[in-house]
Amino acid sequence: MTALGVFDSANLNGGQKLAMKYFAVSLALFGAQVLFGVLAGLQYLFPDFLYGVIDFSVNRTLHVNALVVWLLYGFIGGTYWMLEDEADHKVVGLGLGNLIFWVLTLAVVVVVLVYLLVQVGPAEMKSIWLINEGREYIEAPRWADIGIVVAVLVFFFNVVATFAKGRYTGIGGVLVMDLLALAGLYLAGMFYTPNVSVDQFWWWWVIHLWVEATWEVLVGCIMAYMLIVTLGVRRRIVETWLYIEVALMFGSGILGLGHHYFWIGTPQYWLTIGGFFSALEPVPLVAMVVHAVFDSGVHRLKNSNHPALAWTIAQAAGNFFGAGVWGFMHTLPQINLYTHGTQWSASHGHLAFFGAYSTAVIAFFYLAAQKSRGNVWMSGNLAGGWKWKWSMAFLWMGMIGMTMALLIAGYEQSQIERAIEGSSWVGYFTAQAHPWFVQAMKWRQISGYLFSLGYVLLVWDLFTIGKRETRPIAELHAPSAQPA
Amino acid sequence: MIEPVALADFFTVFFTAALVILCGGLYALLFAYARVKDTPRLMPLAYLSYAGLAVSALVLAHAAHLFDSAFWTLVVGLMLAGYLVAPHGIWHLCVGTHGDEDHAAPEPESPRLV
Amino acid sequence: MTTEAWWASPSLWRKSAIWITGGSFVMLIFLTFDTMSYIQAGGKQVPGYSIINQRVDYQFDEAKNRYVPVIGPEEPLFGKKLTEAEAAALVSKGKLNTQAKNCMECHTLLGNGAYYAPDLTKAWLDPSWGSKEVREQQMVEFLMNPQDRLHNGIGRRMPNLGITEEEARATVAFLKWMSAINTLGFPHNFKAIDQSDAPASAAAPAQP
Repeated sequence: MTALGVFDSANLNGGQKLAMKYFAVSLALFGAQVLFGVLAGLQYLFPDFLYGVIDFSVNRTLHVNALVVWLLYGFIGGTYWMLEDEADHKVVGLGLGNLIFWVLTLAVVVVVLVYLLVQVGPAEMKSIWLINEGREYIEAPRWADIGIVVAVLVFFFNVVATFAKGRYTGIGGVLVMDLLALAGLYLAGMFYTPNVSVDQFWWWWVIHLWVEATWEVLVGCIMAYMLIVTLGVRRRIVETWLYIEVALMFGSGILGLGHHYFWIGTPQYWLTIGGFFSALEPVPLVAMVVHAVFDSGVHRLKNSNHPALAWTIAQAAGNFFGAGVWGFMHTLPQINLYTHGTQWSASHGHLAFFGAYSTAVIAFFYLAAQKSRGNVWMSGNLAGGWKWKWSMAFLWMGMIGMTMALLIAGYEQSQIERAIEGSSWVGYFTAQAHPWFVQAMKWRQISGYLFSLGYVLLVWDLFTIGKRETRPIAELHAPSAQPA
Repeated sequence: MIEPVALADFFTVFFTAALVILCGGLYALLFAYARVKDTPRLMPLAYLSYAGLAVSALVLAHAAHLFDSAFWTLVVGLMLAGYLVAPHGIWHLCVGTHGDEDHAAPEPESPRLV
Repeated sequence: MTTEAWWASPSLWRKSAIWITGGSFVMLIFLTFDTMSYIQAGGKQVPGYSIINQRVDYQFDEAKNRYVPVIGPEEPLFGKKLTEAEAAALVSKGKLNTQAKNCMECHTLLGNGAYYAPDLTKAWLDPSWGSKEVREQQMVEFLMNPQDRLHNGIGRRMPNLGITEEEARATVAFLKWMSAINTLGFPHNFKAIDQSDAPASAAAPAQP
């Protein structure tokens, strides 16, 4: 028996030990995302800051790539975390999984160093292969692309083989199909074409279908497991609802791809398809609202991990506002003609990624922190409980501040740069020099500092939570659970 | 063919589009809450939210020139009908899928979610 | 025990999820094939690469109620008419350069990318290049040595990315070709550089 409140890997099963490694790197890359975001934001205010040393393009590349990779690490970690429980069998090929973790992490480090130190290359294919593919979100050079596919395939093998040897649950089935789609879609981004329209057509296949379809379902699977474990909801119900959400999300999300095909040379029918399916995309969110209220009435939210529950609720709210409200505000082609390619997209992107995905991964961090410390108490009156509350408050204040500032900047841009000046060079800079824009960038930066403070508190909390607790985890069915 | 929004209508479009989703969410929330707590007096508020959604959607459709085309008018109509019945349908699904639970009827005690 | 209605059963929803996902995906594949006929080079909305031998303009079309690319008389880039294959190689080199230099992490192309620098969709037609006589040379020189050129009043500058003259010329070719893509009126209200002084012959819209 290990000491309560002290990290000890003996508390974890094999898959969970590997998951902890993924979570650690994920948390570190989250920090990298925040750091390079702050640097990029500063360059809006002081254009000569790091000019010619780490230019905006480099900071932005690292900012968005760190995002994609830390979330992926979080999802992979989350999957390994639940795998043995879910399949009721030890992870098959765990040694290989561990090896691939180190290979993948080494590759990430090399890619980051190349971004920072080499930055650009000559106009030859070898630049694409070795330095940078130059396509937002999937900049990773081709050698790393191949590495990522191999790593995902090994991960896929671990998951499939474990389910096959153990038992196939409904969650397991959805997870396997989803991972197959995740790996397959990545291939759609691995080719070079001089035709920028064809390039962006397939590029959106990867970005949109990852982010708005396969990631949503992956998070749905992990959340379904969490509902069973932390709230004690019956498997049959959880799995039925997972199917319902898959039907709604894929039904609206796959052809929702159309809202990226308005202005890239694609035919006119995408305006109607994109507009129609964008109007459908809030339907899964409405379903989640109704179901969450119903569930809370049935289960009264007895819960043994308050930080994880709070971040789960934040996920529901963040997803609704970030993806639902912020998405629909500028998605109809009649208005998107003016908002496309402005800070509108940045505002939506920040709130939606944070709301839908970062929150889910952070909730999982807290589940991992609890179990790795011997299932320590994490309910009401948690010793040092101010840390998770304040880190959450700062992260949200910072995120809402950034989102609002970018929204104002985007609104100004859509009017002055896009509608009045017609997106010319002069129009662009007229909008960038406008007091609304300049002010917004200042507030965005201040909010970014608040967010950074929240991140620091989060790390501190994750490393210390439960340390001074002597109580074991709250019994799920004891009537003592106290609201957060 | 689309008719882009006029500059003067930008704010209207952003604001009403946000309201459509917010009212839609509020409608779903109040509807489910009124049912789960068995408090029918909340139900008028739910339908008031839906009325807010409907007005917002019509203003949005007008500002975005959606009524200029039959297709977009149809989309607006479908959306209004869909968002009206969606919470009802989802509720039935909730009751149906939770049918074999120990306590099918939710007990009145304060939940903290949402 | 269970009095579950058929419409609430897991198996129905599992099947629904599979069929809806499959159906949507099949639909997407079908649309993708159809879209390719529009966006391949020389397709209905994306011109062949040899379009860089001609004047490209961008004008409001009353009937379509949006801006459309307008292809004018012969105006070879850098004064040299290229075959389709030569033009394709040049544009390809330019596109490769935009990736190798990571342009998309400051600029937007067709509106996608980062928002730290102007959109490049119609960069070829931007009035800031002065006149159409000096434009090509201006663009090449700017790309090679942007750091000490006047950009704007807010002090934001493009860094020197070590672009060679060959790469710069290829990039200009890519930008000219991209400006001829029919983007359904994006960007709206863009006023192209004046190209009218040359003897204007029958200017025809890019697509029927």
